[in-house]
Amino acid sequence: MMNNKEQMLFDIGIIDFVLVDLMEYLDTHPFDQAAMDYFNHYAKIKNQMVKEFSQKYYPLTKDLAESNKEWRWGSAPLPWEGVC
Amino acid sequence: MQDYRFDDNIDNFPIAMAYVPWQHFDQIFDNLEKAYRIGTIFPDLDKPFTGRRCV
Repeated sequence: MMNNKEQMLFDIGIIDFVLVDLMEYLDTHPFDQAAMDYFNHYAKIKNQMVKEFSQKYYPLTKDLAESNKEWRWGSAPLPWEGVC
Repeated sequence: MQDYRFDDNIDNFPIAMAYVPWQHFDQIFDNLEKAYRIGTIFPDLDKPFTGRRCV
């Protein structure tokens, strides 16, 4: 059973995969409007999810590491801590 | 260079060349977690490798 944090990371991974697959399609079909609509739709959702995760747990990218009392970038688990 | 449409008769194509049919955007899986596990969001490209034949 995944906890909320793991579930969110898992879902972000799925959406990111969807974007990669759409991207590969669009590389060979650059004028496909339907594919572009899907890409725009999921890109927006992914950005929201990453932002939400970063506010709730730890920043996933540097530009989301905005901090007040404590520098949050260092709060993310390190690769050898078995998270990524 | 002549452009061959994918619905042209394959017997008219130059021989000894390999052809990849052009993919058209049709639909993507509703269940994205399933798509993630399969490895593609396109049902058209869901081709499990059986080691023997095409599915």
